[in-house]
Amino acid sequence: MKQLIDMTNVTKDFLQGDNVINALKETNFTAYEGELIGIVGPSGSGKSTFLTILGGLQKPTTGKVMLNGKPFSELDIKEKSKIRLEKIGFILQASNLIPFLTIKEQMVLYNKITKSKVNQPWMNELFQKLDVEKLKDKYPNELSGGERQRSAIAKALYHQPSVIFADEPTASLDTNRAYEVVKLLAKETKEQKKATIMVTHDERMLEFCDKVYVIVDGVLGQKTNNEG
Amino acid sequence: MFLAFKELKYSKTKFALIITVVILITYLVYFLTSLANGLASSYTNAIEKWNSDQVIITVDANDNMMMSYMGQDDFDAYETSGSKTKLGLFPAVINNPFAENVLDSRVEVYFFGIDNDSFIKPSEQKDLTLTGNQVIVDEELQKAGYEIGDLFGVTGSTQQFEIIGFSTNTTYQTAPVVYMSLDTWQTYRYGSANTPDLFSGIVVKGQTNNLPSNLASYTTEDYISTLPGYTAQVLTFSVMIIFLIIITAFVLGIFIYVLTIQKTSMFGVMKAQGISNGYIGGSVIIQTFLLVAFGIIVGLVLTALTGIFLSNVIPFAVNIMFYLVITAAFFVFALFGGLFSVSAVLKIDPLKAIGG
Repeated sequence: MKQLIDMTNVTKDFLQGDNVINALKETNFTAYEGELIGIVGPSGSGKSTFLTILGGLQKPTTGKVMLNGKPFSELDIKEKSKIRLEKIGFILQASNLIPFLTIKEQMVLYNKITKSKVNQPWMNELFQKLDVEKLKDKYPNELSGGERQRSAIAKALYHQPSVIFADEPTASLDTNRAYEVVKLLAKETKEQKKATIMVTHDERMLEFCDKVYVIVDGVLGQKTNNEG
Repeated sequence: MFLAFKELKYSKTKFALIITVVILITYLVYFLTSLANGLASSYTNAIEKWNSDQVIITVDANDNMMMSYMGQDDFDAYETSGSKTKLGLFPAVINNPFAENVLDSRVEVYFFGIDNDSFIKPSEQKDLTLTGNQVIVDEELQKAGYEIGDLFGVTGSTQQFEIIGFSTNTTYQTAPVVYMSLDTWQTYRYGSANTPDLFSGIVVKGQTNNLPSNLASYTTEDYISTLPGYTAQVLTFSVMIIFLIIITAFVLGIFIYVLTIQKTSMFGVMKAQGISNGYIGGSVIIQTFLLVAFGIIVGLVLTALTGIFLSNVIPFAVNIMFYLVITAAFFVFALFGGLFSVSAVLKIDPLKAIGG
């Protein structure tokens, strides 16, 4: 299996007043294609730090992050931004949808920014897979929480990223909807051979994950291993 | 462009309100500019038509040509490299209560006494010869109902004047000019009993070679600025216009800034997804540009309509040059306002988008 993310000896220190806070202690982490990895941990444990370093939103104090076999953490801000745009899909808590674009336009925006052609067949396929065909001309505020997250997943997959970062993707959903969304995420991860990292508070969602890590006080540890 | 347009389309009401404010201000600015320009032109049209370099009056007149008295010896003593001509200037009130075809029986005018071959005679009526009581009058009197061949009297005089032609763009201190021969002017000014050969000033094309000590020379522009009220009026309008442009920039800048601040978290999410500062900032600037452009276009259309309907009532003059400068100023200042928001966009930390 192809290794998509490789984090070696990464630490992150913050300066708070005169105190150095070790937000992330030495961390090694890898993710392979087709893996849905769950990250759990209490608030303030370092989950966000972990995810933001993976996403290149902040630089690790030591260590490095490889993405698709290429060094990522050492690039400058502009290059990282470009990689995030092209290689990473984000599904965020409050959904990553732009309020004044219809679901279809959310995807077209990627083509506008990268000056590329709209991939209509793939877009239609995603609409069908995620059952948002009927919603494509609606604005996010016209959708229910579940519809919004399904649309957000469709958007995250549209530009065919190699990894997906999902930050609390089920936070605003009831149990059934949450299951549905995570199942879809798991299915797409397998089918599209992505690596998906999902940060969640919701322990019920972990049964769909291939691996689960727990972060406590900046220390990342593998919890269970439900290979499936 | 895509993002900017889509948002305008989505938040129609919000942007319609902003555009309304911009339209009102741009309309006011263009309207004031036309009015200021019209007023200024009606002050100076007749002077600008001279195409002169200098105006000479006596030192004792203290900037006021109507109080300047000169004779032939002064005219001869003044020497120029170019050409010079005599001008008699005095106000008058046309008083014609019995004229049937005239709308307004009393009209304030300025009498210009000139030589027949003078370069300050309106060029479109060069062929007419001014003799006796014959006069060429400004087209404003034509608009008021006067026709060629009409006779009119003036307050305080028994003389009757006959209109033999109309001139265009010949107003002085907002009043129409009446051109007549210097002799006729002197009779009106000093009475018929013992008319002295005096006039008010010398209009010069060219440089001064000799200026007698009792005479003062003004460049034509300086002379215009001595007209009572002219400088104050131009300055007042200019200050209003400049401030309105700056206010527009602030209003737009503040609107856009507030909208940008409202969208901070959304921009954070967009940045986290790798959308560049350039693209986000660019769309903020494009939006600002579109709002200004739209406001300007509607403002100009409204001004044009106003001009069509009101140009007979108020002095209203279009000056493309002024419009261009003001339009450019609107854009520059507004984009300056937009840049504030761009700097706010740059400061948004995509880290905030990923909470935990």
